[in-house]
Amino acid sequence: MSIILVGLNHKTAPVGVRERLAFTDEACAAGLRALVDGEVVREGLIVSTCNRVEVLTATEGERTADQLTRIVKFLSDARSIPSEDFSNHLYHHEDDAAVRHVFRVASSLDSMVVGEPQVLGQVRRAYSLAVTAGTTGRVLNRLVHQALHVAKRVRTETGIAASAVSISYMAVELGRKIFGSLKGRTVLLIGAGEMAELSARHLVGAGVGRVLIANRTVETAQRMAAEFGGEAIDYSRLPKSLAEADIVICSTGASSYVVTPELAREALELRRNRPVFFIDISVPRNIDPAVGELPNLFVFDIDDLEAVVASNIREREREAERAELIVESEVMQFQQSLRALSIGPTLGALRRKFQDVAREELARQRNRLGQLSAEQERAIEALLLSTVNKISHPIIHHLRRSYDTGEEETMRAWREVFRLEEPSGDEQIPLDDDEADDEQTS
Amino acid sequence: MRPLLLTVLSAYVVAAIHSILAFVNKRRTLERISLFALFAGFMLHTVALMADWIEEGHYPLFGLRETLSFLAWTLAATYGLILYRYRTQSLGTFTLPLIALLVFIASVARDTGSTATGTVTGNGAAWLFPLHTTLLVFAYASFFVVFVASIMYLLQERELKLKTFGAIFHRLPSLTTINDIATTTAGIGLTLLTLGILSGMLWSSSRDGRLWHNDPKEIFAVLTWLLYLLLILYRATAGWRGRRAAWLGVAGFALVLCTFFGTRLIGSYHNFGF
Repeated sequence: MSIILVGLNHKTAPVGVRERLAFTDEACAAGLRALVDGEVVREGLIVSTCNRVEVLTATEGERTADQLTRIVKFLSDARSIPSEDFSNHLYHHEDDAAVRHVFRVASSLDSMVVGEPQVLGQVRRAYSLAVTAGTTGRVLNRLVHQALHVAKRVRTETGIAASAVSISYMAVELGRKIFGSLKGRTVLLIGAGEMAELSARHLVGAGVGRVLIANRTVETAQRMAAEFGGEAIDYSRLPKSLAEADIVICSTGASSYVVTPELAREALELRRNRPVFFIDISVPRNIDPAVGELPNLFVFDIDDLEAVVASNIREREREAERAELIVESEVMQFQQSLRALSIGPTLGALRRKFQDVAREELARQRNRLGQLSAEQERAIEALLLSTVNKISHPIIHHLRRSYDTGEEETMRAWREVFRLEEPSGDEQIPLDDDEADDEQTS
Repeated sequence: MRPLLLTVLSAYVVAAIHSILAFVNKRRTLERISLFALFAGFMLHTVALMADWIEEGHYPLFGLRETLSFLAWTLAATYGLILYRYRTQSLGTFTLPLIALLVFIASVARDTGSTATGTVTGNGAAWLFPLHTTLLVFAYASFFVVFVASIMYLLQERELKLKTFGAIFHRLPSLTTINDIATTTAGIGLTLLTLGILSGMLWSSSRDGRLWHNDPKEIFAVLTWLLYLLLILYRATAGWRGRRAAWLGVAGFALVLCTFFGTRLIGSYHNFGF
């Protein structure tokens, strides 16, 4: 059994290619049923987002090169695009590398903005589509389950998603650093630029209570006020509104300072020195930098915000290194558990075969044993089974070891000797039972 | 009760180390370990103090050893309360090492000043004395928290003003939270200090009929009281907050240290071994 992943993402393919290859939910379900034939491709999953299209399969018995051709052909057929158009943008991973890739994608280490939270939901969605289409089995169930676990670990154990990496979200993050909770705070927008609107939207999402909007064009102010449930205020009322605002976002096209130190001092006095957080995203600047020298006032202009964003991105990258270590250890663990997972049925079948032989022989010779008490009968059966188990134990032990060290040839030889079927796709044998049986026989 | 105190010490050391590690690494698991160790340490510490009380036959707040141990216990209790109210563990990074240090000194220190026992027992209102000292130790613990919060405020404010967001910025709580902690604990501290001073006066008058001895410790205590009163009044009336209030919190604690240790050097009527 091998795991193969073929796909392309924002790093390897331009958006023009990605959008042509992207799967809708319906196309995804139909595609999965076409992809998984139950013979070679046992399980399949398609992750399709705006940044990536990836096909993940669990396959049996075919050479990797043939697998790749098959998947490329599948993509080409499913999306009706000649394979030359996208094949040189593709990457592919096998087994450990494929597992690692899935873990990294789910943990948002492979995202355009490292640490962004959406990708986890997209992986979940892809999985539920595959479950509905009935194309997941032992391997992918476990792989996706584990990927979600890894993503959760990365999120809680590293600060990969801890700090804001967009200018508009910076208002929320810095606001929290000054005010703690933003609930019930008042925001004043001076000017109604696009960035200011986006910042305000984030702030409202974070629980800000009141939004005041001052704009030269009253209509724009009123439109935005309606959108945020805020109040449009007259430009002449600015000094008074300034005193009410905890957060001020300035983005007018004015060529001179709108907020001067005098105005700020006045406001500060009115609000009895409660802190104010000024965000100046206009160029040229609208807030006199001298305002930032007054106590309890904090002024951030566009350069400051960009510097913070850059430093947060660096922080995320540092955290990402720690996340990679988590992923690495999880990949190793997963590989081990997968081995145990797929040897289980073989061992179980082998043991059953031995025991069946013993029971059949007993049944055949039973008549010649004459009258026996129930206790004697049980003892004979136990004796036979334990003999058989004792004989089969070294074989099982050897099989397990050759499986652990990856000796596929040995495994196949043993299977042939005892005419065992290859384990089927969805047969789930609990691992612990095997272990318990081992204890019994040794 | 030395072995018990050593166990308490190791629990506090574990709490302090994990708190610092959590501060550096931002790991939730470490915070939980720190919290658990602190809780275990505090419980054992309570037992140790009670055992001391029973064994020595007097309230365990005499002499340097007992006072330091009691002060550490008080700090742990105060920190626990603040943790419960504000959920900010970063305060522990500063407080827990001090708690551990105090218990360490207490566990190696020897009591020499037990001679003072005679001067404070065997009179009419003996129960006032433990009340007096307990109130004051709790007041000092509160002022220590005000001090730490003030330092945290100054650090965080500096980060925000200079916009050089380093490790500290990401780890300290928000300005408003720190400010709230400082204001609340200053208020509690002042109340305790007031009650502590009053109970001391009552005890003194019941013992020898004098309310006031013109003792350096008494004078410092009143100065401290005035300073924190100023701090709170300013905050309440003039909106005097932020930086300046934080500096006052630092200055106030310097005065507290003078009251607590300094008068010992000057030589004081209040010198009962601490």
